[in-house]
Amino acid sequence: MAQQVAERVIALVLDSIDIDALIDRVDVEKIIERVDVDKVVDRVDVQKIIERVDINSIVKNIDIDSLVEQTELGSIIARSTTGVLTEVLDVIRAQGVGLDDFFFRWSNRLIRRKVADLPTGPALLVAERKMA
Amino acid sequence: MTSLPAPAPELTIGRQGTYAGAVSRLVAFGADVGVSWGLFTAAGALVTVAIQLFTKRTITITHHQDLTLGALLIWDFIYFTYLWAVSGKTIGMALFGIRVVTREGNLISTRQAAVRTLTLPISIVLLPISILFVLYQKERRCFHDLIAGTVVVYAWDARAARLRWISRAEPTPKQPVT
Repeated sequence: MAQQVAERVIALVLDSIDIDALIDRVDVEKIIERVDVDKVVDRVDVQKIIERVDINSIVKNIDIDSLVEQTELGSIIARSTTGVLTEVLDVIRAQGVGLDDFFFRWSNRLIRRKVADLPTGPALLVAERKMA
Repeated sequence: MTSLPAPAPELTIGRQGTYAGAVSRLVAFGADVGVSWGLFTAAGALVTVAIQLFTKRTITITHHQDLTLGALLIWDFIYFTYLWAVSGKTIGMALFGIRVVTREGNLISTRQAAVRTLTLPISIVLLPISILFVLYQKERRCFHDLIAGTVVVYAWDARAARLRWISRAEPTPKQPVT
């Protein structure tokens, strides 16, 4: 009974208070000046906080490709790590893959076989690609 | 410095680990024949010069055809078996970005590499049929692949191609700050 009365009284008091006006009267600057920030920071165990952060899950959530896309990093790394020969090789290899596809597609058309039904690669490597 | 147009991702990184087709395999084999022959000829020339230096006798390879053929066969066996067993790819395969793996996708064993090398002549002798067979076979395997229990997959390091592709993508128009 007493508990209910107290709750009702507190609710009425809070309703009658103009919180905004109260906050306007508070000098926040003065409060901040009185706080010893260094002392607060000294009490924080940063190492413990870092240990609790799962960096791997954060990194996993970052879309590195779109990040690099926004920068010149891709072309800088490509230019510094590859030469003209590598570029030529990439193009030749890609041409080879294109020709492979062309002949494979037509041979499957001739024997009326659906390419979608065929395996794409060895189980381990296909699983790796899906994970990447 | 001008750069070549970057190949599309579906022809580079999108294909890593998938079965390699007849054209890539044939071209890589052609390169291997050239490399292997070149190395053998160079080694032969060195041996000839060494013999001339130490014995003062002139050796002509055409006079020792059986010996040369035997040495070439042994050399080719070592070339293919060693490289397939160690890294899954020969020099030609490395150039054209393909490699040999087991049906599951692991590195092949020395025994599989040796069997693959010894049965390779079957596919070479039946070359036109071998090409048609690779096109027909579901895992694009040739006769020597079937005997050795191996498959050939695309496996070149497409990191550079990927980086170039990313770096050359159309820049996203910046949204005005509101």
